Amino acid sequence: MQNSDIRIRIAEIVRSSKEGHIPSSYSVVDIISILYRQFLRFDSGNPHSSSRDYFVLSKGHAAAALFAVMESVGLISREVVDRYALTGSQLGGHPDRTKVAFVEASTGSLGHGLPMAVGMAIGLKIKGKTNRVVVLIGDGESQEGTTWEAALVAPNRNLGNLCVVVDWNQSGMQLNPIDNPVEKWRAFGWDVLEVDGHSETDLGSAFESFFKSAKSRPTALVARTVKGKGVSFLEGHGSWHHKIPSDAEIQQIREELDA
Amino acid sequence: MPEPLRKSFADLMVLLGAEDPNLVVMVGDISHGILGTFREQFPDRYFNIGILEPTMLGIAAGMNMLGLNPVVHTIAPFLIERSFEQLKLDFGYQELSANLVSVGATFDYSQLGVSHHSYNDVSLVGSIPNSKVFLPGSKSEFYDLFQANYRAPGLKYYRLTESPHDLDSKTIRTDGKATVLREGRDLTLVCNPATAALCLEYAKSQSGEVDVEVLYLNSIKPFDAAAIQDSAAKTRRVLSVEELSDWDGMHNRVLRALQLMTGVISGSVAVSGYVHEYGSKEDLYKYAGITLEKISEEAQRLATP
Repeated sequence: MQNSDIRIRIAEIVRSSKEGHIPSSYSVVDIISILYRQFLRFDSGNPHSSSRDYFVLSKGHAAAALFAVMESVGLISREVVDRYALTGSQLGGHPDRTKVAFVEASTGSLGHGLPMAVGMAIGLKIKGKTNRVVVLIGDGESQEGTTWEAALVAPNRNLGNLCVVVDWNQSGMQLNPIDNPVEKWRAFGWDVLEVDGHSETDLGSAFESFFKSAKSRPTALVARTVKGKGVSFLEGHGSWHHKIPSDAEIQQIREELDA
Repeated sequence: MPEPLRKSFADLMVLLGAEDPNLVVMVGDISHGILGTFREQFPDRYFNIGILEPTMLGIAAGMNMLGLNPVVHTIAPFLIERSFEQLKLDFGYQELSANLVSVGATFDYSQLGVSHHSYNDVSLVGSIPNSKVFLPGSKSEFYDLFQANYRAPGLKYYRLTESPHDLDSKTIRTDGKATVLREGRDLTLVCNPATAALCLEYAKSQSGEVDVEVLYLNSIKPFDAAAIQDSAAKTRRVLSVEELSDWDGMHNRVLRALQLMTGVISGSVAVSGYVHEYGSKEDLYKYAGITLEKISEEAQRLATP
């Protein structure tokens, strides 16, 4: 299993703090991991580097995945991540940009990330810069109206520097089954790529297309994912959404991921 | 006739846009005609972004993350009340900055019904940490307040009235402090721009009977509590007259200013509930009870507690 070490780390910090959304984090961890390892430009010594690319985790409840990936690439120390969601910690169940260097946006309430990312992409164009903006949203989150307000603005402003990644793990379809994000984003005027959100090959190819080519239209990368991906009893839409594993369950998670 | 504040706003954006390359103007499909000069001179920094106010605020937050200084403009109920979570989270929580410029607050769109009224906007913006709330009543007040504050961190809200006053602008303070429009010994009326004329008319009508002091406030946050206390120490009776909500408008700030003073009584003339009526702005003031008669009634109640 790719990113198995990061998945184990996520489960451990959620277990320690008794806070976190493990299945949502496992749904997106492969996407966040490849972004930080291969595509996003950043200077680990300077969170405000003017040449950096911008990543917004709009579905902020997957914060444990973001923090675990940031730790793995040296943007947060192990000691800080050990304190995730505990008293006095910089890190909580949703990311707070005022407390954590390298976190671009504070999220939690759904539907806020894409409008902010659109503003960042417009801002980069105003300043004549070529940096890129990537925002990761959930398919359930996509029921928020602001997502579609912003989705309308981006192609009309020719935001080729913006990529929205839709974590299509079928959460939204539990409530409103008529839901096809590929058709919707295409109808709104975006360049749409549909990929396996757990395939490094698929994700690499799609991000290569976004980061390495000049575009006039924004990119929507619809990633087919599995909530809880990698651990059999976490997968799907059951009771594990916001559940804390026991010590025995942590051991099971380790065993499945190490296998 | 005083200059309409929407024109003052448009003219000031052109002036500041020329000197500040980070100033961006974004509107929600209003005022695009009067902002035409700004659009022509700075096409890359003007956005008639669409009819999507909460998202407009989110976009402004993203722009501010890139070091731009957004000025966001539309009708008060949509800019503030519809978009409150964006103001709270995208700006307050994230400690980002923008300038909010509204028109159409309270009863300025008097014939359009409750959907286009807004009396709680001042309270909502004021509730956000590090925000400032201004109610300029004239071109010079708007120019001074905007230029002094638009680069400051946090949210700055400039609530432009459709009925600017015709008071002598040289006499009005623009530093967040109260202006004494009229000195008196028996009763303090605390007004904002929209109610200044009414309060002065009441004061004049009382000549020889009740000596009325009129304090004018064009800044709700910061709030000049010391001016309220100084006047109250003299008159011992304070009546707020405002076009804001009686739930949490200017009077709550007045009460806080008075809370440690003994022997002072106070009252309020403000908007209570929603006003389901149409007509002129003056008509809706009457329906809301913001009238000379109501001021007189409250003043008499304070005179004989």
